[in-house]
Amino acid sequence: MKKTRIAALAAVLAFAGATLPASAQTALSEGQILQSLQSAARVAPPNLSAALIANAVQEHIKNNPGMPITWTPLQLLDGLAQINVQIQFALNSDIIRPESYSTIGSIADALHHPILAGYKFVVTGNTDITGDRMKNLELSQRRANAVMNALVTVYNVDPARLEAVGLGQENLQDVQNPKDPINRRVQLINVGKYLPGK
Amino acid sequence: MRFITIGLAAAALTAGIAAASAQTMSYSDAGALLAQSCGKDIEKYCAKVNLGDGALKDCLSGPGAKVNPQCVADYQTVVASLTKRAAAQASVPKLCRNDVARHCQGMVPGDAHFLSCLNAAYRVVTAACNQAIVDAGWR
Repeated sequence: MKKTRIAALAAVLAFAGATLPASAQTALSEGQILQSLQSAARVAPPNLSAALIANAVQEHIKNNPGMPITWTPLQLLDGLAQINVQIQFALNSDIIRPESYSTIGSIADALHHPILAGYKFVVTGNTDITGDRMKNLELSQRRANAVMNALVTVYNVDPARLEAVGLGQENLQDVQNPKDPINRRVQLINVGKYLPGK
Repeated sequence: MRFITIGLAAAALTAGIAAASAQTMSYSDAGALLAQSCGKDIEKYCAKVNLGDGALKDCLSGPGAKVNPQCVADYQTVVASLTKRAAAQASVPKLCRNDVARHCQGMVPGDAHFLSCLNAAYRVVTAACNQAIVDAGWR
């Protein structure tokens, strides 16, 4: 009974969320997170890994000079089961601000749920286009590492199920407004089945 | 619109009451409590230290950090609760094995099918299994 009510609430919230403007990014409920990350229709290609994604990012930088509006999208991650979360970091640093401890905890809650236990995930870091492109890439990698590190060492998530990769400014959420803070985000992406020993 | 807001608030309240019966904190609540009780001290004494790898804990308990007593107490509560939750999650397969055999025959493993089954059958599931699921944060 309780489950049904929560599921119904999650569905209502998911629907309400879809109609909100993109800038009004609100906290996701556990139900929404689980639903988004488990979507069976969005299965990752086999062997998708942080290394593959990092290669695609390097290619993207090489092949896309000029302004973001002319860039081709980083298609590798399109359509995969994923969530976007806003994590507050100290300026130009990978230090996670205390107000985001809870958000990282909600990611941990999802990763600990049996419904996601059989899957591996990539944690990405994203910046907006303010500042140097290569420095943004490096900063986003350190930030993704910091989030993964907190998930593993504070919130007990199995490190074998996680990889961190910085996307810099290559995977903007809003290419029309590349300096919008909405682009500064962390993604948690389902990259397929977790098979221990492989 | 106002009605929707009230409806959501009521639902949130219900969820809050339901959550209060759990014996361990969610990871999200643990993070929120840390931020609430220790946030100011973290910004003051440990602004250059990150959450992971025990670095924050070392800094807050290190020399020079005059951390408020509420932070110390709540930090211990959080660590104890997360430890208990992790132990409960690890214990569920063993404590619920017989319940699965009894109540969830013919179900395919994976995608939390057994958990859904055990949660639906909670009235007849053994107390040990029920308690482990609650402490794991899965009900």
